Amino acid sequence: MAKFHPSIDLLTEYAAGNLPLAQSACVAAHLNYCESCQRTAVQLQEAGSALFGALDPVPVGDSVLDSVLARLDEDAPLSYAQAPEADQTEVGRTPAILQRLMKGDFSELVWRKVTESLRISYLKTGDPGYEFALYHIKAGGKIPDHDHRGSEMTLVLQGGFSDANGSYHEGDFIYRAANDTHAPTALQSEDCICLAVLDAPLKFTNWKYRWMNPFLQLRAG
Amino acid sequence: MHIVENQGGGSGWQAPTGRRTDEWSECLTLIAANEDRAAFTRLFRHFAPLIKAFALSGSSLSAAHADELVQEVMLKVWQKAAAFNPEKAAASTWVYTIARNCRTDMFRRLQKFDTPLAAEDFTPEQEGEEPFAVLQSRRSGDRIRDLMDQLPSDQAQILAKVYMEGKSHAEAAGELDLPLGTVKSRVRLAIQKLQVHMEKQ
Ligand SMILES: [Zn+2]
Repeated sequence: MAKFHPSIDLLTEYAAGNLPLAQSACVAAHLNYCESCQRTAVQLQEAGSALFGALDPVPVGDSVLDSVLARLDEDAPLSYAQAPEADQTEVGRTPAILQRLMKGDFSELVWRKVTESLRISYLKTGDPGYEFALYHIKAGGKIPDHDHRGSEMTLVLQGGFSDANGSYHEGDFIYRAANDTHAPTALQSEDCICLAVLDAPLKFTNWKYRWMNPFLQLRAG
Repeated sequence: MHIVENQGGGSGWQAPTGRRTDEWSECLTLIAANEDRAAFTRLFRHFAPLIKAFALSGSSLSAAHADELVQEVMLKVWQKAAAFNPEKAAASTWVYTIARNCRTDMFRRLQKFDTPLAAEDFTPEQEGEEPFAVLQSRRSGDRIRDLMDQLPSDQAQILAKVYMEGKSHAEAAGELDLPLGTVKSRVRLAIQKLQVHMEKQ
């Protein structure tokens, strides 16, 4: 069982659908390991549903209903007897959302060597505001001291690491605010793989409104 | 119109084994079983105006986009009706979740996000076995809805901003001219009152 969890603030923003894509993926991946946060997320979703039901309805023209009815023939209700089974072999433990992004297992990724004990593989989420990467730290290896200009979310996928604040194992979720220096070291017993989501240096305003400003150039995530 | 035996102070809480038999879940069952258009039209008349209100909350989408969202959500409801399980959740929660996901996808599409992920990938839908505790949480919707009505208005207002208008805590603070810490503590207080299971931080 995971011991370190996203805060209730993060879970609320996740449940409301407000987290940036990359951060939302990291929280979703934690839920894979954590029944307790799954439970909380479900309850927070019910809170959203209650607010939804209490909205003042806005009239919808009959033409909208007509055009939906006209499209029903093309879209017969689907049968949901069996959803495609997630690959339960080698990547069985990896959260489904990461499997979608990785298209294979850890060994098939392109890993860039940073130091003797650290390799990094960048995954493309499409979120231009955040870097989304897997860190592979050799058993006992150290990540060089670093501080962040932005926030950092970390999720342990395999093995574990420790820093001045504690030691973290599979499924643990750690959130660090900007300007927080730390020096994680992988546990001695095995290699550590974790997911790190970092604020990109270029920070935009709310992701939901960026599209309204034609002058902002988005960088591909 | 849940069938609830209210035996003093129970305030609409359904026994965890209770099957939800409200009008909307019956409509979904009819759609899944017979492609029932009359049932679909009833659902549409109830939910489409809520979806439109949801789209226009926070006024970040135009009226044309709001109508487009209504169509997308209702088409998904039609297609996915068979995936609705009345033993797991209320029909209204199920429709809300589709609406929330479609709205997020629409925002990302409008921003031309090039992503392999759709919003529904972020809420892992459990196939088959679901841990009992999680299942129980799914069934606690009625209780949460009741508690919601009793929230002080300042807390309800902030939750509405976060959930319906899609504002982050920081944005809500800016709009209400409140310190971020105040917004966060109001959200936490509200969530606590809803008796949502909270981890000790
Ligand atoms: Zn957790």
